[in-house]
Amino acid sequence: MALLEVRDLQTHFFTREGVVKAVDGVSFTLEKGKTLGIVGESGCGKSVTALSIMGLIPKPPAKIVGGEVLFEGRDLTKLSERQLEDVRGKEIAMIFQDPMTSLNPTLKIGTQITEVIRRHYGVGKDEARKRAVGLLDEVHIPNAAGRLDDYPHRFSGGMRQRVMIAIALSCNPKLLIADEPTTALDVTVQAQVLDLLDELRHSHDMSMIIITHDMGVVAEAADDIIVMYAGQFVEQATTLDLFDHPEHPYTEALLGALPQIEGEGIREGRLTAIPGRPPDLIDPPVACRFGPRCPYANRKDSCTTTMPELREIRPGHLVRSAHPTSERAEVREEVPV
Amino acid sequence: MAVSPKDTRVRAATLAGPVGQAGTAGEALRQASLWRDAWYRYVRNKGAVIAGVVFVLLVLYCYLIPGFWKIPGIWTSLADIDPYAVEFADARQGMSLAHPLGTDRFGRDMLARTALGGQVSIQIGFAATLVILVIGIAYGSISGFVGGMVDNAMMRFLDALYGLPYLPFAIITLAIIGTINIWTMTIALSIASWFTTARIVRGQIISLKENDYVRAAKAVGARWHRILLRHLLPNTLGVLIIAVFLELPGVVLGEAFLSFIGLGISPPEASWGAMAQDGRAVYRVQPLLIVIPSVAIAMLVLCANFIADGMRDALDPRTRET
Repeated sequence: MALLEVRDLQTHFFTREGVVKAVDGVSFTLEKGKTLGIVGESGCGKSVTALSIMGLIPKPPAKIVGGEVLFEGRDLTKLSERQLEDVRGKEIAMIFQDPMTSLNPTLKIGTQITEVIRRHYGVGKDEARKRAVGLLDEVHIPNAAGRLDDYPHRFSGGMRQRVMIAIALSCNPKLLIADEPTTALDVTVQAQVLDLLDELRHSHDMSMIIITHDMGVVAEAADDIIVMYAGQFVEQATTLDLFDHPEHPYTEALLGALPQIEGEGIREGRLTAIPGRPPDLIDPPVACRFGPRCPYANRKDSCTTTMPELREIRPGHLVRSAHPTSERAEVREEVPV
Repeated sequence: MAVSPKDTRVRAATLAGPVGQAGTAGEALRQASLWRDAWYRYVRNKGAVIAGVVFVLLVLYCYLIPGFWKIPGIWTSLADIDPYAVEFADARQGMSLAHPLGTDRFGRDMLARTALGGQVSIQIGFAATLVILVIGIAYGSISGFVGGMVDNAMMRFLDALYGLPYLPFAIITLAIIGTINIWTMTIALSIASWFTTARIVRGQIISLKENDYVRAAKAVGARWHRILLRHLLPNTLGVLIIAVFLELPGVVLGEAFLSFIGLGISPPEASWGAMAQDGRAVYRVQPLLIVIPSVAIAMLVLCANFIADGMRDALDPRTRET
């Protein structure tokens, strides 16, 4: 049995302007010990997917209107708030984007770690403190015992993210969701934090979901990658396959937008951007959501009138597009010049 | 954000202060806590420091002077400095060595009597402020934390209560209770004055609960009471301390007013308002009797206002350095 299985998850925000379909029919499976990367641009529903799994979406206005989140066979969307509280932190932990604001400034970091341990294990103060020192050691914070009594403002961004990771790990969760764990950090610290996460995933035998808009981050850390666009998955493949043979025009465009270090004319050129803007999620196009920005779509295609299905273009590689790269190449060959 | 002259002053003061010097080479970094920072900013505000000193002296005076007559051998020249001792032979005296602030029409020493009145005023002031805080925090935090319809209903109810006039309501409350002593006056003065505190707390909770660390606490399974008590309320502390010193003058003045119109503490007990009322009848012949308690009330209220002002500058997040 897979550790986590999400089936046709739909999370909508009921706002004054209308219903925002932030996550619109998302399905995936995460095996034990694997790392899944979810990439996509801002507002595509990555974070809402993660928060829906944790049951942390702000209700109201958000609501899970359909689908299941099966964690070890249990549907988390059906659990009561009380039951969910016992799952959070203990079974599934989460780390957030901004470590500068994710720690309470009025509490010593020792308190913030031990309160989680005591909450879920019910151990005494001394025992919890001992474990907290071990955790800080594990995330490579020097002089761990001495720093338990420091307040968060004494830590740098990278150090705070390490503390957040220590808190997330404190109850040996089976799944760690990292929502843009490195976005707020500078580049050298990003690499360290990613290495740390990978190391801890192995030593704690966890599964991990990394959410990011940075292709570099998922390339380094993930086994499988899901590309999200406008609330839907548009492509899913193993990391190598995705980077070597991107199929969806959007994935192609994303990879094309990565800054290049060498190549012709890159010194004077601008960075490549994807023209257009993501669709309005209140009233998304009924057809392919990438259609308006897709360089391959034209009026005669079926993809301008109906939504392409997510299909397996080759084993383990799913794509939602009428014009995947490999098929385009074939077509081009067939067309006489 | 526009930087006002006040901001720059505070920032410069902090940078020049010992916090800025903490990093001298070879010396271990000293922990610059929020409270220490606030303290340095506070002591740089001269008005607030003077007000604080005067406030402490006033409180010490009120609580220590009436005790002196009990110590035999000391203050022999003030041997009858007993706020209750009636001595008609000494009545209506001016300032003298035996009675530094004179005596009232019953020959009671004014220095001791003012201290006794101050005890009552300060006790009622602090007790009522405490009640205001407890009710205000409970009401405001529940309203802000639960949010939605509950918040809406609770705030509309508060809006309705705001229409209640403070002092008439206190008088009615006293009339309903029927007895007048320190405790009933505390209740009367606090029952119609916790609305502002509740609103302050609600506003704070609403803005604080959107913080990332609240979401992070939820993500590790913290229950609502833990989030409220551990993560939200401690962060409102700075604002609450300021609220204490803002509520205090209002309550002290309210008590003085009630006593002045004869609805407060009655003899042989004393309060500043009641003493001023006693002095009012003879203010042409013996102005000291109305001047002394009035000055005392003014000093307490002014000090509390200056202290609140200094604390706001020291603790307010908008002038606080990040």
